[in-house]
Amino acid sequence: MLSLFKRYRELLIVGTLLLYPLINYLSSGHKGREPNLADRVVLAISSPLQRGLTSVIEGSKGGLDGYVALRGARAERDQCVADLSAARADLNAMREAKAENERLRAALGYTETTVEPELAARVIGVNASPHYISLRINRGEGDGVRVGMPVLTHDGVVGQVSRFVVGGTADVMLITDPSSRLGAIVQRTRVRATAVGAGGGAPLKLDNVLREDDVVDGDVLITSGTDGLFPKGLVIGRVQKVEREANAMFLKAQVLPSVDLRKVEEVLLLPSTLALAPLHGEVKK
Amino acid sequence: MRFAATVGLALLFLSIEAVVTRQLGLEVTRLDVTLALVVFLGLRAATLEGAFAAFAIGYLLDVFTGRPTGLYPFLAVLTFLLTRMLSSFVDARARALFALLCGASALVHGLLAAFFSWLTSTASGGTIISLTGLPLQALLCAVAAALLWPLLRKLDPAYERPQAGMLR
Repeated sequence: MLSLFKRYRELLIVGTLLLYPLINYLSSGHKGREPNLADRVVLAISSPLQRGLTSVIEGSKGGLDGYVALRGARAERDQCVADLSAARADLNAMREAKAENERLRAALGYTETTVEPELAARVIGVNASPHYISLRINRGEGDGVRVGMPVLTHDGVVGQVSRFVVGGTADVMLITDPSSRLGAIVQRTRVRATAVGAGGGAPLKLDNVLREDDVVDGDVLITSGTDGLFPKGLVIGRVQKVEREANAMFLKAQVLPSVDLRKVEEVLLLPSTLALAPLHGEVKK
Repeated sequence: MRFAATVGLALLFLSIEAVVTRQLGLEVTRLDVTLALVVFLGLRAATLEGAFAAFAIGYLLDVFTGRPTGLYPFLAVLTFLLTRMLSSFVDARARALFALLCGASALVHGLLAAFFSWLTSTASGGTIISLTGLPLQALLCAVAAALLWPLLRKLDPAYERPQAGMLR
Protein backbone atom coordinates (compact mmCIF):
# COMPACT_ATOMS: atom_id res chain seq x y z
CA MET A 1 0.00 0.00 0.00
CA LEU A 2 2.79 2.34 1.05
CA SER A 3 4.83 1.44 -2.01
CA LEU A 4 1.80 2.10 -4.18
CA PHE A 5 1.41 5.52 -2.58
CA LYS A 6 5.10 6.25 -3.08
CA ARG A 7 4.87 5.21 -6.69
CA TYR A 8 1.88 7.41 -7.45
CA ARG A 9 2.62 10.09 -4.84
CA GLU A 10 2.93 12.92 -7.36
CA LEU A 11 -0.20 11.92 -9.25
CA LEU A 12 -2.19 11.65 -6.02
CA ILE A 13 -1.05 15.01 -4.68
CA VAL A 14 -1.64 16.85 -7.95
CA GLY A 15 -5.01 15.11 -8.34
CA THR A 16 -6.00 16.22 -4.85
CA LEU A 17 -4.90 19.80 -5.53
CA LEU A 18 -7.04 19.76 -8.67
CA LEU A 19 -10.13 17.95 -7.43
CA TYR A 20 -10.47 19.18 -3.84
CA PRO A 21 -11.27 22.81 -4.80
CA LEU A 22 -13.53 21.63 -7.66
CA ILE A 23 -15.59 19.39 -5.38
CA ASN A 24 -15.67 22.18 -2.81
CA TYR A 25 -16.91 24.61 -5.44
CA LEU A 26 -19.54 22.30 -6.91
CA SER A 27 -20.87 21.40 -3.47
CA SER A 28 -20.95 24.91 -2.03
CA GLY A 29 -22.12 26.57 -5.25
CA HIS A 30 -21.26 30.07 -6.43
CA LYS A 31 -22.21 31.74 -3.16
CA GLY A 32 -18.87 30.91 -1.53
CA ARG A 33 -18.01 30.95 2.12
CA GLU A 34 -17.22 33.59 4.70
CA PRO A 35 -13.48 34.38 4.89
CA ASN A 36 -11.65 32.33 7.51
CA LEU A 37 -8.58 33.29 9.51
CA ALA A 38 -6.14 32.49 6.69
CA ASP A 39 -8.19 34.54 4.22
CA ARG A 40 -8.24 37.45 6.64
CA VAL A 41 -4.47 37.30 7.10
CA VAL A 42 -3.98 37.43 3.32
CA LEU A 43 -6.33 40.40 3.00
CA ALA A 44 -4.74 42.13 5.99
CA ILE A 45 -1.35 41.90 4.28
CA SER A 46 -2.69 43.31 1.02
CA SER A 47 -4.81 46.13 2.49
CA PRO A 48 -1.95 48.47 3.54
CA LEU A 49 -0.33 47.95 0.16
CA GLN A 50 -3.56 48.87 -1.62
CA ARG A 51 -3.99 51.94 0.56
CA GLY A 52 -0.42 53.06 -0.13
CA LEU A 53 -0.73 52.54 -3.87
CA THR A 54 -4.05 54.38 -3.99
CA SER A 55 -2.57 57.32 -2.09
CA VAL A 56 0.46 57.50 -4.38
CA ILE A 57 -1.56 57.26 -7.61
CA GLU A 58 -4.30 59.65 -6.53
CA GLY A 59 -1.77 62.08 -5.06
CA SER A 60 0.15 62.22 -8.34
CA LYS A 61 -3.05 62.42 -10.36
CA GLY A 62 -4.39 65.18 -8.11
CA GLY A 63 -1.20 67.20 -8.49
CA LEU A 64 -1.26 66.84 -12.26
CA ASP A 65 -4.98 67.58 -12.50
CA GLY A 66 -4.52 70.64 -10.28
CA TYR A 67 -1.85 72.01 -12.58
CA VAL A 68 -3.86 71.33 -15.74
CA ALA A 69 -7.02 72.74 -14.17
CA LEU A 70 -5.39 76.15 -13.67
CA ARG A 71 -5.75 76.80 -17.41
CA GLY A 72 -9.50 77.25 -17.28
CA ALA A 73 -9.69 78.30 -13.64
CA ARG A 74 -10.85 81.88 -14.20
CA ALA A 75 -13.76 80.99 -16.48
CA GLU A 76 -14.67 78.16 -14.17
CA ARG A 77 -14.62 80.51 -11.16
CA ASP A 78 -17.03 82.90 -12.87
CA GLN A 79 -19.32 79.99 -13.69
CA CYS A 80 -19.12 78.76 -10.09
CA VAL A 81 -20.05 82.19 -8.74
CA ALA A 82 -23.11 82.26 -10.99
CA ASP A 83 -24.06 78.70 -10.00
CA LEU A 84 -23.57 79.51 -6.33
CA SER A 85 -25.87 82.47 -6.60
CA ALA A 86 -28.58 80.29 -8.18
CA ALA A 87 -28.00 77.57 -5.59
CA ARG A 88 -28.37 80.09 -2.75
CA ALA A 89 -31.73 81.15 -4.14
CA ASP A 90 -32.81 77.48 -4.32
CA LEU A 91 -31.52 76.87 -0.80
CA ASN A 92 -33.51 79.75 0.52
CA ALA A 93 -36.66 78.38 -1.09
CA MET A 94 -35.91 74.94 0.35
CA ARG A 95 -35.40 76.37 3.83
CA GLU A 96 -38.81 77.95 3.58
CA ALA A 97 -40.27 74.63 2.46
CA LYS A 98 -38.47 72.81 5.28
CA ALA A 99 -39.77 75.24 7.87
CA GLU A 100 -43.28 74.81 6.52
CA ASN A 101 -42.81 71.02 6.52
CA GLU A 102 -41.70 71.09 10.17
CA ARG A 103 -44.69 73.22 11.11
CA LEU A 104 -47.02 70.78 9.39
CA ARG A 105 -45.29 67.77 10.99
CA ALA A 106 -45.62 69.38 14.39
CA ALA A 107 -49.27 70.07 13.69
CA LEU A 108 -49.81 66.41 12.76
CA GLY A 109 -47.91 65.15 15.82
CA TYR A 110 -44.93 63.63 13.98
CA THR A 111 -41.65 63.40 15.86
CA GLU A 112 -38.36 63.71 14.00
CA THR A 113 -36.16 60.62 14.35
CA THR A 114 -32.49 61.13 15.16
CA VAL A 115 -30.25 60.16 12.28
CA GLU A 116 -26.59 59.37 12.80
CA PRO A 117 -24.13 61.21 10.55
CA GLU A 118 -23.16 59.61 7.26
CA LEU A 119 -19.72 58.07 7.08
CA ALA A 120 -17.49 59.06 4.18
CA ALA A 121 -15.10 56.48 2.76
CA ARG A 122 -12.65 56.21 -0.07
CA VAL A 123 -12.54 53.33 -2.54
CA ILE A 124 -9.10 51.74 -2.36
CA GLY A 125 -9.57 48.74 -4.66
CA VAL A 126 -11.85 46.49 -6.63
CA ASN A 127 -11.93 42.73 -6.31
CA ALA A 128 -10.18 40.60 -8.85
CA SER A 129 -13.15 38.75 -10.26
CA PRO A 130 -15.27 40.12 -13.08
CA HIS A 131 -18.17 37.93 -11.96
CA TYR A 132 -18.63 38.91 -8.33
CA ILE A 133 -17.98 42.61 -8.37
CA SER A 134 -17.23 44.44 -5.14
CA LEU A 135 -15.27 47.48 -4.01
CA ARG A 136 -12.95 47.79 -1.04
CA ILE A 137 -13.23 50.93 1.09
CA ASN A 138 -10.89 52.40 3.67
CA ARG A 139 -13.35 52.19 6.56
CA GLY A 140 -13.97 49.15 8.69
CA GLU A 141 -15.59 47.85 11.81
CA GLY A 142 -13.60 50.24 14.01
CA ASP A 143 -15.07 53.23 12.19
CA GLY A 144 -18.61 52.13 12.93
CA VAL A 145 -19.19 50.29 9.65
CA ARG A 146 -21.68 47.42 9.87
CA VAL A 147 -22.47 44.61 7.45
CA GLY A 148 -25.53 45.58 5.44
CA MET A 149 -24.96 49.34 5.64
CA PRO A 150 -26.24 51.11 2.51
CA VAL A 151 -23.48 52.69 0.43
CA LEU A 152 -24.19 55.59 -1.90
CA THR A 153 -22.83 58.67 -3.60
CA HIS A 154 -24.60 61.94 -4.27
CA ASP A 155 -25.78 60.45 -7.57
CA GLY A 156 -27.50 57.42 -6.05
CA VAL A 157 -27.14 53.92 -4.65
CA VAL A 158 -23.80 52.07 -4.98
CA GLY A 159 -24.42 48.91 -2.94
CA GLN A 160 -24.13 47.61 0.59
CA VAL A 161 -21.33 46.58 2.94
CA SER A 162 -20.89 42.84 2.51
CA ARG A 163 -18.04 42.08 4.92
CA PHE A 164 -15.12 43.45 6.92
CA VAL A 165 -11.48 42.90 6.20
CA VAL A 166 -8.81 43.02 8.87
CA GLY A 167 -6.93 46.32 8.72
CA GLY A 168 -9.81 48.79 8.91
CA THR A 169 -11.30 48.12 5.50
CA ALA A 170 -14.57 46.67 4.27
CA ASP A 171 -15.95 45.23 1.05
CA VAL A 172 -19.00 46.70 -0.66
CA MET A 173 -21.22 44.51 -2.82
CA LEU A 174 -22.39 46.58 -5.80
CA ILE A 175 -26.01 46.74 -6.88
CA THR A 176 -24.95 45.12 -10.18
CA ASP A 177 -23.78 41.99 -8.34
CA PRO A 178 -25.93 38.94 -9.19
CA SER A 179 -26.76 38.52 -5.48
CA SER A 180 -28.10 42.06 -5.12
CA ARG A 181 -31.87 42.66 -4.78
CA LEU A 182 -33.33 46.11 -4.12
CA GLY A 183 -36.89 47.04 -3.28
CA ALA A 184 -37.77 49.84 -5.70
CA ILE A 185 -40.49 52.24 -6.83
CA VAL A 186 -40.91 53.96 -10.17
CA GLN A 187 -40.79 57.61 -9.12
CA ARG A 188 -43.36 58.87 -11.62
CA THR A 189 -46.09 56.28 -11.15
CA ARG A 190 -45.17 54.73 -7.73
CA VAL A 191 -45.23 51.24 -9.26
CA ARG A 192 -43.39 48.78 -7.01
CA ALA A 193 -40.58 46.64 -8.42
CA THR A 194 -37.40 44.76 -7.59
CA ALA A 195 -34.07 45.81 -9.09
CA VAL A 196 -31.91 42.72 -9.51
CA GLY A 197 -28.17 42.70 -10.26
CA ALA A 198 -27.25 40.98 -13.51
CA GLY A 199 -23.48 40.69 -12.92
CA GLY A 200 -20.65 41.26 -15.35
CA GLY A 201 -21.12 45.04 -15.27
CA ALA A 202 -24.47 44.75 -17.08
CA PRO A 203 -27.45 46.99 -16.19
CA LEU A 204 -29.82 45.77 -13.49
CA LYS A 205 -32.97 43.81 -14.34
CA LEU A 206 -36.39 45.08 -13.34
CA ASP A 207 -38.43 42.29 -11.78
CA ASN A 208 -41.94 41.83 -10.44
CA VAL A 209 -43.57 44.54 -12.57
CA LEU A 210 -46.85 43.54 -14.17
CA ARG A 211 -47.15 43.90 -17.92
CA GLU A 212 -49.96 46.45 -17.64
CA ASP A 213 -48.13 48.65 -15.09
CA ASP A 214 -47.23 52.15 -16.21
CA VAL A 215 -43.47 52.01 -16.77
CA VAL A 216 -41.74 53.61 -19.74
CA ASP A 217 -38.15 54.16 -20.89
CA GLY A 218 -36.48 56.95 -18.97
CA ASP A 219 -38.49 56.53 -15.75
CA VAL A 220 -36.45 57.14 -12.61
CA LEU A 221 -36.30 54.24 -10.18
CA ILE A 222 -35.89 54.97 -6.48
CA THR A 223 -35.55 52.75 -3.41
CA SER A 224 -38.84 51.79 -1.81
CA GLY A 225 -37.51 51.31 1.72
CA THR A 226 -39.26 47.95 1.91
CA ASP A 227 -36.15 45.77 1.74
CA GLY A 228 -35.15 46.59 5.30
CA LEU A 229 -31.77 48.04 4.35
CA PHE A 230 -32.08 51.05 2.07
CA PRO A 231 -34.12 54.04 3.18
CA LYS A 232 -36.86 55.21 0.86
CA GLY A 233 -36.19 57.70 -1.93
CA LEU A 234 -32.58 57.02 -2.99
CA VAL A 235 -32.09 57.08 -6.74
CA ILE A 236 -31.18 53.67 -8.21
CA GLY A 237 -31.18 54.53 -11.90
CA ARG A 238 -33.22 54.97 -15.07
CA VAL A 239 -35.46 52.38 -16.67
CA GLN A 240 -34.59 51.43 -20.24
CA LYS A 241 -35.48 48.82 -22.87
CA VAL A 242 -39.00 48.12 -21.57
CA GLU A 243 -40.43 45.06 -23.33
CA ARG A 244 -43.98 43.73 -23.00
CA GLU A 245 -44.32 40.24 -24.40
CA ALA A 246 -47.81 39.20 -25.50
CA ASN A 247 -48.23 36.20 -23.20
CA ALA A 248 -46.03 37.21 -20.29
CA MET A 249 -47.38 38.23 -16.92
CA PHE A 250 -44.47 40.54 -16.11
CA LEU A 251 -42.72 43.05 -18.32
CA LYS A 252 -38.99 42.97 -18.99
CA ALA A 253 -36.80 46.03 -18.52
CA GLN A 254 -33.31 47.11 -17.61
CA VAL A 255 -32.19 49.71 -15.10
CA LEU A 256 -29.11 51.77 -15.86
CA PRO A 257 -27.54 52.70 -12.48
CA SER A 258 -27.43 56.45 -11.82
CA VAL A 259 -23.93 56.05 -10.40
CA ASP A 260 -21.11 55.21 -12.80
CA LEU A 261 -19.87 52.27 -10.75
CA ARG A 262 -16.66 52.06 -12.75
CA LYS A 263 -15.58 55.49 -11.56
CA VAL A 264 -16.67 55.62 -7.94
CA GLU A 265 -13.93 57.17 -5.81
CA GLU A 266 -15.63 58.36 -2.64
CA VAL A 267 -18.77 56.91 -1.09
CA LEU A 268 -21.06 57.63 1.82
CA LEU A 269 -22.15 54.93 4.23
CA LEU A 270 -25.60 55.45 5.56
CA PRO A 271 -26.24 54.32 9.13
CA SER A 272 -29.13 51.96 9.09
CA THR A 273 -30.84 50.74 12.21
CA LEU A 274 -31.61 47.56 10.36
CA ALA A 275 -27.99 46.89 9.41
CA LEU A 276 -26.61 43.63 10.75
CA ALA A 277 -24.31 43.30 13.74
CA PRO A 278 -20.51 43.03 13.29
CA LEU A 279 -19.50 39.89 11.46
CA HIS A 280 -17.06 38.57 14.03
CA GLY A 281 -17.53 40.93 16.93
CA GLU A 282 -19.93 41.13 19.82
CA VAL A 283 -23.29 42.76 19.41
CA LYS A 284 -23.10 46.11 21.17
CA LYS A 285 -25.92 46.75 23.55
CA MET B 1 11.75 29.66 -0.54
CA ARG B 2 10.98 29.59 -4.29
CA PHE B 3 7.40 28.71 -3.49
CA ALA B 4 7.21 31.62 -1.03
CA ALA B 5 8.75 33.99 -3.59
CA THR B 6 6.19 32.97 -6.24
CA VAL B 7 3.26 33.31 -3.85
CA GLY B 8 4.61 36.63 -2.54
CA LEU B 9 4.89 37.89 -6.11
CA ALA B 10 1.31 36.78 -6.82
CA LEU B 11 0.07 38.62 -3.72
CA LEU B 12 1.92 41.74 -4.82
CA PHE B 13 0.51 41.48 -8.36
CA LEU B 14 -3.04 41.00 -7.11
CA SER B 15 -2.80 43.98 -4.76
CA ILE B 16 -1.46 46.17 -7.57
CA GLU B 17 -4.04 44.79 -10.00
CA ALA B 18 -6.92 45.63 -7.66
CA VAL B 19 -5.79 49.27 -7.46
CA VAL B 20 -4.76 49.69 -11.09
CA THR B 21 -7.99 48.10 -12.36
CA ARG B 22 -9.97 50.66 -10.38
CA GLN B 23 -7.80 53.55 -11.53
CA LEU B 24 -8.25 52.53 -15.17
CA GLY B 25 -11.98 51.94 -14.74
CA LEU B 26 -11.78 48.33 -15.93
CA GLU B 27 -14.10 46.69 -13.41
CA VAL B 28 -15.76 44.62 -16.10
CA THR B 29 -12.52 42.98 -17.09
CA ARG B 30 -9.18 42.19 -15.46
CA LEU B 31 -5.48 42.37 -16.17
CA ASP B 32 -4.97 38.76 -15.05
CA VAL B 33 -1.28 39.09 -14.23
CA THR B 34 -1.35 36.07 -11.94
CA LEU B 35 -2.28 33.89 -14.89
CA ALA B 36 1.07 34.82 -16.44
CA LEU B 37 2.70 33.44 -13.30
CA VAL B 38 0.74 30.18 -13.56
CA VAL B 39 1.66 29.80 -17.24
CA PHE B 40 5.28 30.49 -16.39
CA LEU B 41 5.12 27.79 -13.71
CA GLY B 42 3.67 25.41 -16.28
CA LEU B 43 6.61 26.06 -18.57
CA ARG B 44 9.39 26.02 -16.02
CA ALA B 45 8.51 24.49 -12.66
CA ALA B 46 8.64 20.87 -11.51
CA THR B 47 5.23 19.22 -11.33
CA LEU B 48 4.76 19.07 -7.58
CA GLU B 49 6.22 22.45 -6.74
CA GLY B 50 4.41 24.08 -9.65
CA ALA B 51 1.08 22.49 -8.74
CA PHE B 52 1.37 23.71 -5.14
CA ALA B 53 2.36 27.20 -6.29
CA ALA B 54 -0.50 27.28 -8.84
CA PHE B 55 -2.93 26.17 -6.12
CA ALA B 56 -1.66 28.92 -3.81
CA ILE B 57 -2.00 31.54 -6.56
CA GLY B 58 -5.54 30.34 -7.27
CA TYR B 59 -6.32 30.50 -3.57
CA LEU B 60 -5.10 34.12 -3.41
CA LEU B 61 -7.22 34.99 -6.42
CA ASP B 62 -10.18 33.31 -4.76
CA VAL B 63 -9.69 35.29 -1.56
CA PHE B 64 -9.38 38.55 -3.51
CA THR B 65 -12.74 37.94 -5.19
CA GLY B 66 -14.38 38.52 -1.81
CA ARG B 67 -16.21 35.19 -1.74
CA PRO B 68 -13.84 32.23 -1.73
CA THR B 69 -15.47 29.37 -3.58
CA GLY B 70 -12.64 27.07 -4.65
CA LEU B 71 -13.17 27.81 -8.34
CA TYR B 72 -9.93 29.71 -8.90
CA PRO B 73 -7.57 27.22 -7.18
CA PHE B 74 -9.07 24.51 -9.41
CA LEU B 75 -8.70 26.62 -12.55
CA ALA B 76 -5.14 27.63 -11.64
CA VAL B 77 -4.02 24.02 -11.15
CA LEU B 78 -5.84 23.02 -14.35
CA THR B 79 -4.18 25.85 -16.29
CA PHE B 80 -0.82 24.79 -14.84
CA LEU B 81 -1.33 21.19 -15.95
CA LEU B 82 -2.56 22.18 -19.42
CA THR B 83 0.41 24.50 -19.90
CA ARG B 84 2.75 21.81 -18.67
CA MET B 85 1.24 19.38 -21.14
CA LEU B 86 1.54 21.94 -23.92
CA SER B 87 5.14 22.71 -23.02
CA SER B 88 6.05 19.19 -24.09
CA PHE B 89 5.19 20.25 -27.65
CA VAL B 90 5.90 24.00 -27.64
CA ASP B 91 9.08 25.55 -26.33
CA ALA B 92 7.89 29.04 -25.34
CA ARG B 93 11.22 30.67 -24.56
CA ALA B 94 10.57 33.80 -26.63
CA ARG B 95 8.70 36.75 -25.13
CA ALA B 96 6.12 36.94 -27.94
CA LEU B 97 5.28 33.25 -27.73
CA PHE B 98 4.95 33.43 -23.95
CA ALA B 99 2.62 36.44 -24.29
CA LEU B 100 0.55 34.59 -26.88
CA LEU B 101 0.31 31.56 -24.61
CA CYS B 102 -0.80 33.75 -21.70
CA GLY B 103 -3.45 35.43 -23.86
CA ALA B 104 -4.79 32.05 -24.96
CA SER B 105 -4.74 30.81 -21.35
CA ALA B 106 -6.71 33.88 -20.27
CA LEU B 107 -9.36 33.05 -22.87
CA VAL B 108 -9.65 29.42 -21.75
CA HIS B 109 -9.53 30.44 -18.07
CA GLY B 110 -12.29 33.03 -18.58
CA LEU B 111 -14.50 30.63 -20.53
CA LEU B 112 -14.10 27.91 -17.90
CA ALA B 113 -14.80 30.39 -15.08
CA ALA B 114 -17.96 31.53 -16.87
CA PHE B 115 -19.03 27.94 -17.54
CA PHE B 116 -18.61 26.79 -13.94
CA SER B 117 -20.27 29.96 -12.60
CA TRP B 118 -23.22 29.31 -14.91
CA LEU B 119 -23.28 25.63 -13.90
CA THR B 120 -23.59 26.39 -10.19
CA SER B 121 -25.97 29.31 -10.59
CA THR B 122 -28.60 27.37 -12.58
CA ALA B 123 -30.29 26.42 -9.31
CA SER B 124 -30.71 30.08 -8.41
CA GLY B 125 -32.02 31.38 -11.70
CA GLY B 126 -29.13 30.61 -14.04
CA THR B 127 -27.28 33.90 -14.23
CA ILE B 128 -25.44 34.04 -17.54
CA ILE B 129 -22.17 35.85 -17.14
CA SER B 130 -21.28 38.35 -19.80
CA LEU B 131 -18.21 37.37 -21.80
CA THR B 132 -17.89 40.69 -23.59
CA GLY B 133 -14.86 41.66 -21.51
CA LEU B 134 -13.02 38.41 -22.23
CA PRO B 135 -11.18 39.40 -25.46
CA LEU B 136 -9.91 42.56 -23.75
CA GLN B 137 -8.95 40.50 -20.72
CA ALA B 138 -6.95 38.09 -22.91
CA LEU B 139 -5.26 40.99 -24.68
CA LEU B 140 -4.36 42.71 -21.39
CA CYS B 141 -3.06 39.42 -20.02
CA ALA B 142 -0.84 38.98 -23.08
CA VAL B 143 0.47 42.56 -22.75
CA ALA B 144 1.08 42.10 -19.01
CA ALA B 145 2.88 38.80 -19.69
CA ALA B 146 5.13 40.47 -22.27
CA LEU B 147 5.96 43.25 -19.78
CA LEU B 148 6.59 40.79 -16.95
CA TRP B 149 8.76 38.53 -19.06
CA PRO B 150 12.12 40.06 -17.96
CA LEU B 151 11.11 39.77 -14.28
CA LEU B 152 9.95 36.20 -14.70
CA ARG B 153 13.17 35.35 -16.52
CA LYS B 154 15.00 36.29 -13.34
CA LEU B 155 13.06 33.50 -11.62
CA ASP B 156 14.11 31.18 -14.41
CA PRO B 157 17.22 29.71 -12.75
CA ALA B 158 15.17 29.00 -9.67
CA TYR B 159 12.78 26.85 -11.64
CA GLU B 160 14.69 24.19 -13.44
CA ARG B 161 12.35 21.57 -14.75
CA PRO B 162 14.07 18.25 -14.15
CA GLN B 163 12.28 16.08 -16.71
CA ALA B 164 9.93 16.52 -19.56
CA GLY B 165 6.49 14.97 -19.45
CA MET B 166 3.45 15.64 -17.43
CA LEU B 167 3.58 13.65 -14.22
CA ARG B 168 7.01 12.20 -13.91
